[in-house]
Amino acid sequence: MSEPILAVAGLTKRFRGVVAVNDVSIAVPEGSICSLIGPNGAGKSSFFNLVTGYLPPSAGEIRFQGRRIDGLDTHRIAQLGIARCFQIAKPFPELSVLDNVRMGALFGRAGARDVETETAAALALAGLSDLADRPAISLTVGYLRRLELARAIAQRPLLLLADEPCAGLNPTETEEVVDILRQVRQRGVTVLLVEHDMRAVMRVSDHIFVLDAGSKIAEGEPDRIARDPRVIAAYLGTPEPAGPA
Amino acid sequence: MLAQGIRSHRRWIVLALIALVALALAPVFLAPFHIRVAQLFLFSAALAVAWTILGGFAGYWSFGHTAFIGLGAFVAALVETSFQIKPAGLNFVVGMLAGTGACAVLAALLAYPILRLRGIYFAIAMLGVSQVLGELNNNVDAFKGSLGIVLPQIAPAHVEPQAFYYYLFLIAGVLTLGAAFAVKVTRLGHGLLAIREDEDTARMLGVPTERYKTAAFVLSAVLTGMLGIIYAHALGYITSGSVYRTDFSLNVMVYALLGGIGTLAGPILGAGIMVVLTQMVLGRLLDTHMFVTGALLVAIVMLAPRGILGYVAPLLRWRKDGASP
Repeated sequence: MSEPILAVAGLTKRFRGVVAVNDVSIAVPEGSICSLIGPNGAGKSSFFNLVTGYLPPSAGEIRFQGRRIDGLDTHRIAQLGIARCFQIAKPFPELSVLDNVRMGALFGRAGARDVETETAAALALAGLSDLADRPAISLTVGYLRRLELARAIAQRPLLLLADEPCAGLNPTETEEVVDILRQVRQRGVTVLLVEHDMRAVMRVSDHIFVLDAGSKIAEGEPDRIARDPRVIAAYLGTPEPAGPA
Repeated sequence: MLAQGIRSHRRWIVLALIALVALALAPVFLAPFHIRVAQLFLFSAALAVAWTILGGFAGYWSFGHTAFIGLGAFVAALVETSFQIKPAGLNFVVGMLAGTGACAVLAALLAYPILRLRGIYFAIAMLGVSQVLGELNNNVDAFKGSLGIVLPQIAPAHVEPQAFYYYLFLIAGVLTLGAAFAVKVTRLGHGLLAIREDEDTARMLGVPTERYKTAAFVLSAVLTGMLGIIYAHALGYITSGSVYRTDFSLNVMVYALLGGIGTLAGPILGAGIMVVLTQMVLGRLLDTHMFVTGALLVAIVMLAPRGILGYVAPLLRWRKDGASP
């Protein structure tokens, strides 16, 4: 296996008494689609907040392309090539769809680029070309999610962190988002996905990491994860042993 | 990006150039009183444009921009009266550099603690800064704020002083508008817009938010200081009360709101309307003019919350090419 694009070792985040992320180590291979799954409150969003520099870790280290990035400012990490799209879409509300995506192309990963070409390509990939002139606030949830993806793609990231891009979408829309993620990967972008839609996760992922209560409890290929008793226990609970009545 | 910005805004630029020619010729035709009104218009419009760089573009409303008018004016006045360099023009330039330099330093120092405050907290912090500076200026004898300072006359002997200051304001206004336009159409301006829309998302996209906000704040402060220094010379004699004026701070926001916040044409339009109204129309209704002004503002905020341009621009369809006023 080639050098992982993202390597996290012993990552820990404590909020006062609560340990949101507990000694998590994962390695995301370059060019893959990996998923981070786990029940609500498992620490997935906290994990993304740590990798993007939105929160400082309490312990551990984060390496991107071999380089330490923990402790860097959020905007520096974005300039290195990590983009994130949010579960709750955060468009620039008063700007048009086009201007939202253009903002991603103007900033994002450092280096020269043709802003208009990148913007148009990202809009096309997300299927938003026809809606380019619409104000962002007028979009429905499904299209907002695509806008979020398009803006992240326009950043020309090397690693895309996608936070529940399928949440609240119907099966057709989910299928479209999965398709977009696959195309993103084809363009050489590594994808780390947080998702609750297990069918989507199982179909699209090369590798899955499972978090529960802040700790990594399992990792592996999708069909192994689906059968892993620890994972099943984390999601469904263990059968209660018959006790004295 | 500047070239592209100029191309996409060419209609606005042509309009601005026509206005500039008209303004340059105006003193020939205007009566002395109207030249004074026109001076006030140029001063007010330029202040509102300078304020817009931070308040309109980045959404950081400063309620205390008069701090930079006062600081610039007093530093320049103290320097010019202490050193009295010859010739008078050079003395003015040195005073200008010292005054605007002081504004730049103050803004850069304030940026770290108070530009992290969002929304209304930043606004109030700036109000506090302007009050503190005004009080210090008034009460520390070395600053001569209560005694006042008579500024050196800089208008050449053969030139009519009011026309001279009019042209000085015009040059300062062109500089201010040019600087603000350059910010608006380049990366900095887009970054500031992203900050205004959603600062956390902007940072997540790779916008160096702290650096951009500081740059906008310093530029806005320097331009405001420059205008304050010219204003001080036009007055001829300043005290704390004549340059640290809370109504300056509030008026610039009224101009921006009235014309269309976030735009560059808006504050100019707003300043024009308010100056004409207060100086020429309502001046005849001395007892009620503040009341009428206030009522008018309430009406505009309720009927056209995006200002006059926000109301009119979509009708003009000028925004189709991506250019905004």
